[in-house]
Amino acid sequence: MASFLATYDFLLVSMVLAAVLALTLYLPLMAGQLSVASPGFYALGGYIAAIMSTRIFPPGPGLYPVSLVLLEMAVAAVVSGVLGLAVGVPALRLRGIFLALATIAFVQILGVVALNLDVTGGAIGIFGIPQPFSSAIQYMWLAVPLLLVSMLFVARLERTRTGRALVALREDELAAASMGINPTYHKVLAFTTSAVLAGAVGAVSAHFINTWNSRQGTFDTSVNLMAFVLVGGSRTFVGPVVGGLVLTALPEALRGIAGVDVLPAWLAAFLRDGRLIIFGILIAIGTVFFPHGLITPGLLRRLGRRGARPG
Amino acid sequence: MNRTFLLQQVLNGLAIGSVYAIFALGYTLIFSVLRIINFTHGAIFTIGAYATYALTGSQFGINGLLAGATLPFRLPFVLALLGGSVVAALAGVIVERLAFRPLRVRGADPLLTLVSSLGVAVALVNITQYLFGAEPYSYPDPLQGLPSAVNFGTAAAPVLVRTVQVVIFGVSMVMLVLLTYLMNATRTGKALRAVAEDMTTSSLLGIDTDRLILLTFVISGFLGGVTGTLIGLSVGVAGPYFGIAFGLKGLAVIVLGGLGDIPGAVVGGLIIGLAEAFVPAQYIAYREAVPFALLFVVLLVRPQGLLGRAQVQKV
Amino acid sequence: MSAAPLAAADLLVVDGVTCRFGGVTAVNEVSFAVARGELFGLIGPNGAGKTTLFNLITGLTAPSGGHLRYRGEDITGLPPHRVAERGIARTFQNVRLFGELSALDNVMIARHVRTRSGLVSGVLGLGAARREEHETRERAAALLALVGLADRPEERARNLAYGDQRRLEIARALALEPELLLLDEPAAGMNAGEKRALSDLIRSVRARLSLTVLLIEHYVPLVMHLCDRIAVLNFGQLIALGPPAEVQKHPAVVEAYLGDST
Repeated sequence: MASFLATYDFLLVSMVLAAVLALTLYLPLMAGQLSVASPGFYALGGYIAAIMSTRIFPPGPGLYPVSLVLLEMAVAAVVSGVLGLAVGVPALRLRGIFLALATIAFVQILGVVALNLDVTGGAIGIFGIPQPFSSAIQYMWLAVPLLLVSMLFVARLERTRTGRALVALREDELAAASMGINPTYHKVLAFTTSAVLAGAVGAVSAHFINTWNSRQGTFDTSVNLMAFVLVGGSRTFVGPVVGGLVLTALPEALRGIAGVDVLPAWLAAFLRDGRLIIFGILIAIGTVFFPHGLITPGLLRRLGRRGARPG
Repeated sequence: MNRTFLLQQVLNGLAIGSVYAIFALGYTLIFSVLRIINFTHGAIFTIGAYATYALTGSQFGINGLLAGATLPFRLPFVLALLGGSVVAALAGVIVERLAFRPLRVRGADPLLTLVSSLGVAVALVNITQYLFGAEPYSYPDPLQGLPSAVNFGTAAAPVLVRTVQVVIFGVSMVMLVLLTYLMNATRTGKALRAVAEDMTTSSLLGIDTDRLILLTFVISGFLGGVTGTLIGLSVGVAGPYFGIAFGLKGLAVIVLGGLGDIPGAVVGGLIIGLAEAFVPAQYIAYREAVPFALLFVVLLVRPQGLLGRAQVQKV
Repeated sequence: MSAAPLAAADLLVVDGVTCRFGGVTAVNEVSFAVARGELFGLIGPNGAGKTTLFNLITGLTAPSGGHLRYRGEDITGLPPHRVAERGIARTFQNVRLFGELSALDNVMIARHVRTRSGLVSGVLGLGAARREEHETRERAAALLALVGLADRPEERARNLAYGDQRRLEIARALALEPELLLLDEPAAGMNAGEKRALSDLIRSVRARLSLTVLLIEHYVPLVMHLCDRIAVLNFGQLIALGPPAEVQKHPAVVEAYLGDST
């Protein structure tokens, strides 16, 4: 067990963080909005944590206090929320493809800005971010509660008045509006909540990865998130979580297979490095064969019934 | 601001802009017929550039599966360009058949098609990287005989534009004319516009929509290949991801010009090129953000773009 | 066609409303008033502008000219959710239910404007929110019972029979606790028995909930039988307005319908 954790500690934490990030794509999608803005807020959150821990708080002996990490997460969440509101209010008047494009533009702009500011370390970024833990696996103390809280939040959301409003908007925006639901208010709400969560994940990730630069939270990240949600499932919060966990683990699992000597070298190399190829192809297949993802509310209902039946 | 400087900047802008313009032409052509954003255009563009490189008999670098490989023959540049563009067109057709057609048959939302095209584009670019590595390449120079730059100023106050950039500008104008002619003055063009308007009815009227869609992808893919090679010639091939970068910037160009509008693609491209050229020196680092800032603003203010028509939503 | 005199008991006033789409004038200077408690019919050949008029009243489309007044307040140009807030609910010509959701969910969603729990209180499950959630569920179930769908609350809306879907839409509209209910061809696709049941439902609901009802309907006997007054539209213009018996004999109406071979 210990050696398993030692080998896979980095992966396990990455899986959990990926699952949370997947939820940030899921939240606007609940209201029918495809927004790939969360990588931008993720990047922002990471920079805030990196800057706070390397430039603002004085370095001390030993480990960096977890309480400060939590503070950074809170600051990242608030700043992301404010920026989310500022960007969301104008942007969420856009529909469909136009919104998706606007969020793509947003992430690109943030990336260029991050690449060029001194405070973000320019092209090099910020490195040597202090560690609150002595080993990677201990990051689970932050990652798992974050995942559980966000899962709980979204699960609860799906059962409340606000959650119902979001789903109504997704199903038929005009009908929902005719039933008294304010579209812009709710879309901005989903968008901003997503931004807050992404910022918090970014803050943890900056410590976890130890360095932060403009290569975090890019267009590639959007593609990863889309794969998580598209393959995992876009109609229930369980989908993105499973998608995030499994698809993050997949390349490692494939890498494990690649270690098996029987495989030809080119296939082994492909399995090792072809993460984006695999995700891209999965996205293409997913949109055709299972546009709502693998985990659907119907599947959950069936599993629930099977579990409830005795014997 | 003195005139020479101004002229230089304008010409730089037009040079950059015409690069964006030819890229955007293929991009917007697909939207004009199918009402989808085909993000794989950037990947096809990459494939074209790499195919041409291979066909010139050049050798691939040290990374990638095909490290050090060369083709057993070498073609003169123009033939390699054509060949590479044919390969690109083929890639476009394969993408259409495998990724887009199943979605079209299922009546999928254009948003779903966009997502699929994003996935396919990333997959293709990474496959290219896996095969050929991410190093920069440059083509053997076909313009050796010609002067390296054209002077639009005087001997005393030179205003220089690289010959290859003049060629690119010329190509973009020729492409614009040819495509406009195709769409407006030929029977095929009329059929294409019918398909764009209403695919079901066109099909019922006996128009072979499948063949026309195929033709659209062939033209768009070929254009993409030509674009990739020309840009590779102008600035070098900076690794397969330059296709993604162009794909992203291309979004700004086609939205600015008006999605599906062919002259709009050129107008959008030139405007963004000029905007980039006129970024003041102290902000030069932010030049890459200019297309995206423009994209964001256009989407908020006038999503149909400069030359597009506002869409009336029928309830 | 001059508008009826505007009285204090008028719930809805349509005042010179015009709607132009590009080159088409879908609604042309239409004026009429609907009194509180009335069952008001809106008929006319296909394309006469009836649904467009509903869209104008409910804010889905903005008028190119004219005014709309509800309970004395000018609601011209208000977005749909604000119109719904003020107590105007509608059903759609082509049923627009939330197909993937259950019948009960569809009705519960429409309780939105009459409930208040926000994001935080809802997610945290605070006392007031929880009580409200319970009440929402109960009211929705009661409305389903009212329209005869009590036995299938969890059924997905898209799986319901067409007639049931139309009744579900009515239940959903009623969940808003409206004062003015707009029904767009509620009897379409129903057989004679269902039409009779619908007619009874509309009358009973109007009485029980003190509603004012504005009804678009193609099936003329239903309209004649049910409505207190009828307005007739043709090519976007109001060509007749009055009690059924009068309207039936109005020469312009006869011509409009005879001219339309359906």
